[in-house]
Amino acid sequence: MRLESPIADRITGLILFALGISMLVGGFTMDRLEIRQIHPASIPGLLPMGLGLAMALCAFLLILSTLQSESARYDSTREGVSTNLPNEKSKSEEPGSYTNLLVTVFLTVGYGAGLVGHVPFVVATAIFIFLFSLYFLWTGSGTKRKQKSRTITLCAVYAVVFAVGISALFRYGFLVRLP
Amino acid sequence: MQAMSALLEALSSFMNPMSLFHVAWATLLGIFVGSLPGLTATMGVALLTTLTYTLDRDTAILVLICMYVGAIYGGSRSAILLNIPGTPASAATSLDGYPLAQRGQAGYAMALATAGSALGTLVGIALLVLLAPPLAEIALNFGSFEFFWLALFGIIISAQLTAETSQLKGYIAGLLGLMVAMIGSEGIHAHVRFNMGFSDLNGGIALIPAMVGAFGFAEVLTVMWRPAGKVVESESRNARTMPKLIDLWRYKFTIGRSGVIGTLVGIIPGVGEDIGAWASYAVAKRFSKERDQFGHGSTEGLTAAETGNSAVVPGALIPALTLAVPGSAPAAVLIAALFIHGIRPGPMIMIEQPDFIYSVAAMLVLATIAIAIFGLSLTRVFVLILKVPRELLMPVVFTLCVIGPYALTQRHFDIWVMLVFGLVGFILRQMKYPMAPLVLGIILGSLLDKSLRRGLTLSNGDIAPFFTRPISLTFAVVIVVTILLSIPPVRRQLTRLFSAKEMT
Repeated sequence: MRLESPIADRITGLILFALGISMLVGGFTMDRLEIRQIHPASIPGLLPMGLGLAMALCAFLLILSTLQSESARYDSTREGVSTNLPNEKSKSEEPGSYTNLLVTVFLTVGYGAGLVGHVPFVVATAIFIFLFSLYFLWTGSGTKRKQKSRTITLCAVYAVVFAVGISALFRYGFLVRLP
Repeated sequence: MQAMSALLEALSSFMNPMSLFHVAWATLLGIFVGSLPGLTATMGVALLTTLTYTLDRDTAILVLICMYVGAIYGGSRSAILLNIPGTPASAATSLDGYPLAQRGQAGYAMALATAGSALGTLVGIALLVLLAPPLAEIALNFGSFEFFWLALFGIIISAQLTAETSQLKGYIAGLLGLMVAMIGSEGIHAHVRFNMGFSDLNGGIALIPAMVGAFGFAEVLTVMWRPAGKVVESESRNARTMPKLIDLWRYKFTIGRSGVIGTLVGIIPGVGEDIGAWASYAVAKRFSKERDQFGHGSTEGLTAAETGNSAVVPGALIPALTLAVPGSAPAAVLIAALFIHGIRPGPMIMIEQPDFIYSVAAMLVLATIAIAIFGLSLTRVFVLILKVPRELLMPVVFTLCVIGPYALTQRHFDIWVMLVFGLVGFILRQMKYPMAPLVLGIILGSLLDKSLRRGLTLSNGDIAPFFTRPISLTFAVVIVVTILLSIPPVRRQLTRLFSAKEMT
């Protein structure tokens, strides 16, 4: 499923609708601070209620627009007109590699949420930079053993230099207590 | 005259080796950040904000402004050489810059872009000095009613103008930003809202981790997802890298007009540099004698786009300083940085710190001189920078995305916020939801909320003052018309009506 498609919009619309209703209910049921005798017009839930309502309305319109675009496409297909003609924009915005994306998400989230805080920052950073650069440079590093070992060395040196450099900058330059 | 002497005085205060050193490195870093696809001005300013805690107030703001100016200008490098805008602001630049590079005139295109950027920023600075003080004075008359509409106007206009495919998605992005701003302790009764049982959410979502996530981490994901670009290698060693004065003179009206358009676009809340460039480009094309060359390597088109996007920078700072409403996403981060360094932007700025606007103008002048010097002298160096493999650059960028927000509060929670905003921001961007209204929503949420409730308290629950005070009424009418025009059936009806009138 493409991220920019009527189905994706419809699913998002449903999620946003639920979010809007939740905020509306949350704002309505929020403490009105009567015990503090505040002005009734300044209750904390006032704007959240409005925002929830507006979001639910926008989400509804989003779902409606995807249904309309689908029926328009159905009509035009029936008349023998293809609506999926390639154009310059769609060509230039072809999606990239999902494998690369998933690996990037895995490595970055693994580093930010897993390694940092559990392993000393400098070590965590060195491991992350090494794995990240090695994974993406590996395929382009040729097939010869010498080229592969050169890539591994480059990534290792690069990872150590930047991990130590960034850690030192924040630790001693900006006096940040590193995680 | 008084403004001029204040500006000169501010300039002289920065004429010391240390300040000039900061101008040099920060602008150079900005050009570097802007020239690399995937590193945007917002991300650069957000990351650098986390490195300025230990600097004194003026130096910190100087460094951030130099980064901002440098990054917006730097985007033209990759737009010309790779046909990939380094920042969204340079999208229009690539239309004519890349064809020029393919013809072997990359150096000349970059030189023209440099001249256009420098001149555009100077036009913007002149307007900043002229417009900001009176605007701050007008804003002193704003009460809760006007600020409510101003915040709403900012989000709606930003949603309207930055939406790529559907304005509805712009509105949704703005609403999401406002919803995020509702989390945590509210500003009137200090009541904690929507913390969902997490005490870390009591203080709300901080802007810097959210921005670093939405603009930094999301960019890392986008860059690694998309195929890499290729640098054009058609430049001969002795190709011209200085702009011809005759060309600049020939385009004097284009430069002046684009500078003014860019600055005015910058003043509109949350719209940003890319719209400034496109608007300047479109107007230049309309009035050009050589409009058929636009899109095929027109030097006028390139100059208009670059002048327009750079003029947005001073323009975006006008509402940021005088109303605390950012004109662009990087200006939103700058507002956060101003608060961190003890400056309160808003209508009171001309009373509390009357010289600050001129200091900002002086910082912009220095950054402009720096981009002109670096842009014209280091053309070949920037070509080399573009060859840095993204596989080596992106892990370092992500490391900074992690440590930057952490350095602000020393809380792991902010790393989580950055990760969540990055992942959600990436998905939203792929689904063509604009990021600018979201950011503006986070920034203006508190103002909107407080102004609404304060206004209603002042009027004892009566909503009439929101519609009867002159400025409020103007804002309300503009907002209603803007929303109505974004509804397709209404727009169709109006178009039909106008075309029928023209026929008769």
